[in-house]
Amino acid sequence: MRVAPLALVPILLAAGMARAQDYLSCQLAPGWTQSEPIHQYTADNLYDYKDGGAEGYLIYGFAGMKSLNCKSGENTLTIDVSEMNDADAAYGIFATNRDPRLPIAKIGMGGQVQPQSASFAKGKYYVEIVVAATDPNIVHTAELQALVNRMAQRMEGRETPPEALAWFPQENLTSAGLVPESVLGLKQLKRGYVAKYTQGQAFIVLEDSAESAAAVLKELRARFDGASDAKVGDEAFQAKAQYLDGICIFRKGRTLGGYANLPTAQEAASQAVKLAARIP
Amino acid sequence: MLPVVGAGSSLGLMNLSAQTPAGNAGSAGSAGSPVKLSYKTLGKTGLKVTTVGMGCMITSDPSVVARAVDLGITYFDTARGYQHGNNERMVGAALGSKRKQVVLSTKTEARDKAGLLAQLDTSLSELKTDYVDIWYLHGKSSPADIHDDMIEALQLAKQQGKARFVGVSTHSNQPQLIPWMVQKGVFDVVLSAFNFSMDPAVEQAIDAAAKAGMGVVAMKVMAGGPRNQKLAQQGAMLAALKWVTNHPSVATTVPSMTDMDQLDENLKAMAGPLTADDHKVLAAHLEIIKPEYCRMCGKCEGTCAQGLPVADVLRFLTYADRYGEFALGRERYLQMASEHVAARCGDCAECTVKCPYGVEVSKQMARAQELLA
Repeated sequence: MRVAPLALVPILLAAGMARAQDYLSCQLAPGWTQSEPIHQYTADNLYDYKDGGAEGYLIYGFAGMKSLNCKSGENTLTIDVSEMNDADAAYGIFATNRDPRLPIAKIGMGGQVQPQSASFAKGKYYVEIVVAATDPNIVHTAELQALVNRMAQRMEGRETPPEALAWFPQENLTSAGLVPESVLGLKQLKRGYVAKYTQGQAFIVLEDSAESAAAVLKELRARFDGASDAKVGDEAFQAKAQYLDGICIFRKGRTLGGYANLPTAQEAASQAVKLAARIP
Repeated sequence: MLPVVGAGSSLGLMNLSAQTPAGNAGSAGSAGSPVKLSYKTLGKTGLKVTTVGMGCMITSDPSVVARAVDLGITYFDTARGYQHGNNERMVGAALGSKRKQVVLSTKTEARDKAGLLAQLDTSLSELKTDYVDIWYLHGKSSPADIHDDMIEALQLAKQQGKARFVGVSTHSNQPQLIPWMVQKGVFDVVLSAFNFSMDPAVEQAIDAAAKAGMGVVAMKVMAGGPRNQKLAQQGAMLAALKWVTNHPSVATTVPSMTDMDQLDENLKAMAGPLTADDHKVLAAHLEIIKPEYCRMCGKCEGTCAQGLPVADVLRFLTYADRYGEFALGRERYLQMASEHVAARCGDCAECTVKCPYGVEVSKQMARAQELLA
């Protein structure tokens, strides 16, 4: 009985490696040659490579990483491909690490290319590329753009951001992404999407059922002194809190959503109505 | 002698409920419970810090940082590389006008003088401050990682008033790195992974640093982090944090916190000394992990009759058994010398490897050979 799964491993390994070789190769970057074997990391030894920054990967649901170094003269091109537990997690870590001052380009689910670096997410993969050049003033944007395009073409997986991100009202939106735990700094909101606006922030958390969502809402309401009912979704409350300012949290089916950090609870409730209307 | 104000002689006393305005989302679990803050002095820097600081690396909402400041935490740690710079921006915004009330540290991964100084300027801009209290070289594990021009950059930053104090952060090889730092005499602080489960050689290095007047900040204090479910299930996380905050050589700690509840829970670590019950909880946890948990102390090196690299094999097994990375474990195993790949522990009548921490070496090695060879 134990032989069967082990016997499958070489087949699965070969399939997995073939895919990795397709998209993780210095040959995809003309002029660059592989300088050392591909390094592999797991949650166990990611600290060896990323030091304390490893926790930033682990919290998003990190499965493994392959890292490739390519050389061109004295310059080094490092390509890190992280495999996350799912596509939402891959997009989540991309969105957290991206430069919010720059737009998101259509590379896989989303990407950014800068003069010395690039990143994108496609399927359950999160890709980071950095050029360490002897002359840091040389702009590598064009070749990085070509490289990420080639990599993305060879990678499997989803090409659209998480559906819930489209539910956030777009007016005055500055950034949006996945928070892996404790949305708004509240333990009860375990994992969800957060949108930052020029003023305030909104969130969406998908619970397993309407019942569990209702239980979380009840628990949250108990934390806010002076909370009062609000007419949003199936049930809601609004409050004024020190750190979250004007806040409104509602439940619509199994979805929890809301606004925080607005000047008044009423304004938060008003915005929450707009958000609730966009949730299917 | 390190000037230490122990937890038992705390200078501050704070009632969370009194400090928590009506409507605040935090502290439900501790409302009404007085929580003492304990302070120590960070070596020769003279900085007075709460024994529990805040590691901001995975904090996503600035409200948690803001509330930590209001509750009296005085040490906040971030790094240029966290969230590709977004974490520094969040921390800077969260601290706002209260920045000068706290000790703020950041780190750099740059590897030459120009890169280091450029990163410091970026850090200051993102943190919205004109100086950091401590500036660390990030993630060094060997003296060879720290070049003279990097030290020049640290000293220049101090001269320019951009960094009040400088140091190094390290996750591994502390017994070699920290004594070198002490001898070098240019580092004010070391930020080191340090917890109850580590090799005594790490503790000896940290003790020597503190004795020499270097400030010691501990990280990875929960031996696997708050997401270590085994630790959480036993309620051992608080005990693990208390173990470090009560260590005489450690001035402060930087546990990661993502929400108000973690903040409240961690504050309790300052409320009193490590108790007999805490020791029991930690000892029980060590017993659970002992048969499988290799501390990578290296004391087994050269003791296997067949010459096997024991620690390496145990690590490969960990990939397969604990992290579900069978392919990686097998790949690494097969990269060993052919005689090591072919060796079998069953060929020895008795195992010559004796782990000082109680890892069942022969059993684990045999399992690795069965699974990976």
